[in-house]
Amino acid sequence: MIKVSDLKKDFPIFDREINGKRLTYLDSGATSQKPNSVINEMTNVYTNMNANVHRGTYVLSSETTAKYEEVRNKLKNFINAYSSDEIIFAKGCTEGFNFLANSICKDLNAGDEIILSEIEHHANIIPWQMAAAKYNLKINYINVSESFELDFDHLESLLNKNTKVVSIVGESNISGMLPDIKKINSLVKDKTDAVYIVDGAQLVPHRKIDVQDLGIDFLCVSGHKMLGPTGIGVVWGRKELLENLDPVYGGGDMIEEVFYDTATWAPIPHKFEAGTPPYVEAIGLGAAVDYLFNLDMNNVQKHSDDLREYAKNKLGNIDGLNIIHTNSKLAGCTFAMSVDGVHATDISLMLDTFGVAVRAGHHCVQPFHRKLNLDATFRATGYIYNDEEDFDILSNAIEESIKLLT
Amino acid sequence: MSIQEKVEEYKKTLALFPNPQEKYQYLIEQAKKSEDFPTELRIDEFKVNGCQSQVWLVPEEKENKLYFKSDSDALIAKGLVTLIASIYSDEAPKDIVNSEIDLMEEFELGVILSPARRNGAFSMLKTIKEFSQKLAN
Repeated sequence: MIKVSDLKKDFPIFDREINGKRLTYLDSGATSQKPNSVINEMTNVYTNMNANVHRGTYVLSSETTAKYEEVRNKLKNFINAYSSDEIIFAKGCTEGFNFLANSICKDLNAGDEIILSEIEHHANIIPWQMAAAKYNLKINYINVSESFELDFDHLESLLNKNTKVVSIVGESNISGMLPDIKKINSLVKDKTDAVYIVDGAQLVPHRKIDVQDLGIDFLCVSGHKMLGPTGIGVVWGRKELLENLDPVYGGGDMIEEVFYDTATWAPIPHKFEAGTPPYVEAIGLGAAVDYLFNLDMNNVQKHSDDLREYAKNKLGNIDGLNIIHTNSKLAGCTFAMSVDGVHATDISLMLDTFGVAVRAGHHCVQPFHRKLNLDATFRATGYIYNDEEDFDILSNAIEESIKLLT
Repeated sequence: MSIQEKVEEYKKTLALFPNPQEKYQYLIEQAKKSEDFPTELRIDEFKVNGCQSQVWLVPEEKENKLYFKSDSDALIAKGLVTLIASIYSDEAPKDIVNSEIDLMEEFELGVILSPARRNGAFSMLKTIKEFSQKLAN
């Protein structure tokens, strides 16, 4: 069980007041707040042991390197990877998708197909569009129904022998949709030899993930959305797949031997990590993983489910509020909303005057907003440090804001 | 009234509202009171880039002076653009080009004028100055 009032004490940001009100932070879908343990661990590295990793032959460098490499092991356990060599550090999901799109698509043939869904984040669209233009590939989008769920019949109809990549969000940053990953995986594996990539940006912070059990091929993880610092994330991939992929970035630390006309690559994971890595951020992410591990991801998941249920009922009672949220039994605690005749930026500016932080815009899911004929929505997302009171405050603030704006 | 005098007037008015919510309500009132904007002018040619909501600014020249019609699909942004348009309307293009007023500094309008944000107000001012520069040449 997560007791939010106790847990909040670990997050110094909640000491702040906004416009004279308590901070009601409901924008963890954009980035999460950080506990003291993450902040202190990063300060500790800079204060006591800072030195570049993998290079030095002295105490500081070996301590930093050990701490940095230990994070791979923490992440391996966190998502139950087969090996810590499968944990590739990247700046975040965006860099992860750019790496995967560039590396995978280079080896595809013209006319090969990529399947995405209509509700993907731009980070899981644009890199594929760029690669598709470069290598003459075709992108198909799985329909998302009016109830904000994936249309599995449509997915099935899209799968064919030319399908080489299927890349789909694990938890929607708009509707909270949690597609059935195992079902997608078995459809993909039955009908194609494509790789199945899961966008874990919203999924991994909120739910217990076991990549071996899911049977997937790649997973992109964002560090800053799961209590870690910005500038660090992970691409997990099956060892045998990673070993066959070429690096996209060249430079120091990723080589075995370099000659004037050629070079050979270091083994995974290092061949994908050119240059000095953001090792302090990675160590900060390690502290975040420890924090979540100590809470137990089963509790984190239950908290998300309970809060979603409460928020869904609470927000559902507000007159005039349209909620883009799936009705499925399970979904993420994410609510994109709109009010007829009121602009999303007006609502979010007003909510800010109540100390409530939400995001307004298209949330990097512009094509889906266009499909729904919406310019913008405002979005509230709950995380471990949010409770019923936060959604009570949000609901009251929305009602007051609507009054002020109409 | 000169640009500077109009800025001073608005500054005095906005200072009457100590908290952001009241300031936004004042902007909403300005939006509601503003002159009707012909919907046929809601076109890309007049759209101000860089705003979170859609904002339109239409310049008109009469007897060597510039006038601006404005609109937005969001109320607070519309209030802000109404205020900015009125500051720079009925002014000579060269006076607009030469005016160096930092609205972020002058009006304490909270997050909507925060310089750190990819700023809509900044884009509105830039658009007004670009129109004026063309005419001043």
